[in-house]
Amino acid sequence: MKYNRLKKLSKTMAILMIVAILASLFATPAKQKATSLAKDDVIKLRVCNWEEYIDLGEWEEDELIELDNGVSILGENTMMDDFCDWYYETYGQKVEIEYSCFGTNEELYNQLTLGDTYDLVCPSEYMIMKLMSEKKLQPLSDGFFDASDENNYYIKGVSPYIREAFETNEINGEPWSQYAAGYMWGVTGIVYDPDAMTAEDASTWSVFNNPDYFRRITIKDNVRDSYFAALGALKAEKLLSEEFRNAPDYSQQLAKEMNDVSEETVAAAQDLLQDFRDNVYAFETDSGKADIVSGKIAANYQWSGDAVYSMDLAEEDDVYLEFAVPKECTNLWFDGWVMLKDGIKGDAAKQHVAEAFINYLSMPENAVRNMYYIGYTSVISGGEDDTIFQYACYNYSADEDAEEVVQYPLGFFFTLDNEDEAYIIEADIEQTRRQLYAQYPPQDVLERSAIMQYFDEQESKDANQMWINVRCFNIKDVKVSTWLLIAAVLCGVIAVITKVKADRYRE
Amino acid sequence: MRALRFSRKQLGIPYALFLLLFVVAPLFVIIYYAFTNGEGQFTIANLQGFFTDPNTIGTLFYSFMLAVVTTVVCLLLAYPIAYVLARSNIRHKSVIVMIFVLPMWINFTLRITALKEILTIIEGNLAFHPFLNSVIGMTYDFLPFMILPMYTTLSKLDNSLLEAANDLGASPLQTFIKVTLPLSVPGIVSGVVMVFLPSMTNYVVLDMLYNSTYIMGSLIGSYFSAYDWHNGSMIALVLLLIILIFTLFTNRYEEDGSKSRGGAIL
Repeated sequence: MKYNRLKKLSKTMAILMIVAILASLFATPAKQKATSLAKDDVIKLRVCNWEEYIDLGEWEEDELIELDNGVSILGENTMMDDFCDWYYETYGQKVEIEYSCFGTNEELYNQLTLGDTYDLVCPSEYMIMKLMSEKKLQPLSDGFFDASDENNYYIKGVSPYIREAFETNEINGEPWSQYAAGYMWGVTGIVYDPDAMTAEDASTWSVFNNPDYFRRITIKDNVRDSYFAALGALKAEKLLSEEFRNAPDYSQQLAKEMNDVSEETVAAAQDLLQDFRDNVYAFETDSGKADIVSGKIAANYQWSGDAVYSMDLAEEDDVYLEFAVPKECTNLWFDGWVMLKDGIKGDAAKQHVAEAFINYLSMPENAVRNMYYIGYTSVISGGEDDTIFQYACYNYSADEDAEEVVQYPLGFFFTLDNEDEAYIIEADIEQTRRQLYAQYPPQDVLERSAIMQYFDEQESKDANQMWINVRCFNIKDVKVSTWLLIAAVLCGVIAVITKVKADRYRE
Repeated sequence: MRALRFSRKQLGIPYALFLLLFVVAPLFVIIYYAFTNGEGQFTIANLQGFFTDPNTIGTLFYSFMLAVVTTVVCLLLAYPIAYVLARSNIRHKSVIVMIFVLPMWINFTLRITALKEILTIIEGNLAFHPFLNSVIGMTYDFLPFMILPMYTTLSKLDNSLLEAANDLGASPLQTFIKVTLPLSVPGIVSGVVMVFLPSMTNYVVLDMLYNSTYIMGSLIGSYFSAYDWHNGSMIALVLLLIILIFTLFTNRYEEDGSKSRGGAIL
């Protein structure tokens, strides 16, 4: 009986299997047919962005952001899907986005050189400079800068402060703004636990070799960020001197100092980084965010956006972390959208889609969605539209029960005029050390910020060699006792082997 | 049905293709990069660099020590348990063996993350003992690879040999040293190979346990991320040769001991 039943079952399953295979064969071509038919009228845009760097929707209902200017924001679908719908409604053209992600700028660059093609990518400023210098980028069209077009949200809404940075920084005589549109920006600094570290100690790059925090602070596991910190600590005396600070060309001088890659400086930085290595908890890329929340470390070198993330995460456990920007200087960074020549291939329709995507992300409501989702600060200030400022107020305006309220001016970012009374937040004094400070650094922080240029081939080789020197084990560090122990073990092993051989020979 | 019958040679074709495409071809790419410079010209500077650069020598030393210590620790932990398991009369032995294999079914990053938390509770601060932590992490990761081949060899041990030794007046210790240990050499060797080689390059364990010192794997990665394919490839190639020599050497020992290779259960 059982045999028959099993046999029957096996037969049924076999038939089902065949049916399923046939069905799948018929199902696939049908789908392919649909896309191939529509191919002519769908433009496909290949976008490559940082991981976790765009709103992917699916917010809970209670995450609805209701701003005082009457705007309500809720991310339901992914930004990419919303864009395709918006583009069809606005321009009557069907588009499709092929979205992929990268983990580091170098990884993206490697992908590009190995033949992966994208139309629109979002690297950091130094990688944009490198790509610009290698003539791999497609310039933005004139139409993109036309502020009279109501759909040009980027040019209408970009912060004048960021706009100035993009227009004054040049590669081979061409400003960045010609090729790149900003996305997110920030500074670098130290997230610290105020119970374990004082604000004063956290406000210097020398914190990494401060023996008071031996093995309780993490530094970034990449040569650029660590080198910047080392330079800041090396040149502290000069950077902090009144004479240097008050020089009329302070900004240019600061940028020059922080981009010093001369042989002596690199060698000095190497020694200092070795001291850092012997004092810090670890070199980390991602784990620091969680480790400071769990209390493994007292402080963590961080980009402002991730600092906001850490502070938000810690608050859920009633731990209140703070953010400090070293008094010597800080690294002003941007991530921006650039189009690749290899991808666009002179296709004007495609370029229009790419530029529209940037504009769509720059729509104030969408900038808020992205900021909410990823914790970084959008380069968009909104222009005429006050949604962005309202969102800052929504996040940081002091509660009625706040003990001490201060006026925190944001005019610098919104209008370049820090006195502008329309852009002052009445914030809880604690916010001047927390998220608000990290998300919108005050004017004095931005004044001591420098952009780090890209390293050319030789410089990047030297920097990488320095980094390897810092990280590799130095055989001279082996103690004499260790050598003796190794010798003893070796002798022991040889003794045993010869003994075994001798015994066997006797047999 | 006759048409479906393959000769033995034909059955090997899929694997041969796989080998050609994903093992042999990349190997040639590595060799090409290892012996060229940035301009694509032939050079042996990378090879000289390997043996003259204190960084590669230091890293090789560090990786080697890490691998040796890990292997010895694994051996000392695994041999007694494999011996007890194989020689005892417990029923359902395979269930107990399964318990040792079980951790391998959990993703290893997850296991190391758990280990990190446990070690933090024990040590307070992981950064004080980077070498020790790395050894613990690697041991945790690779121990089953040591137990299984030794268990297989030891359970196949012929009981009559032990009885004979006993009858001829050998003490239990003598029996162990003269009979059991020499006969379990093949299992030990294949366990050592399985633990030693991966622990020289598995830098993810070090990264996750906050050991900032580079081992061979991370050094190669560091060259690659700076677009220096040439030095990175040379290190990979030399490492491959070292491993090859090591394997040839151990193969001889395995054949010495017995024809049967341990680790069949894997």
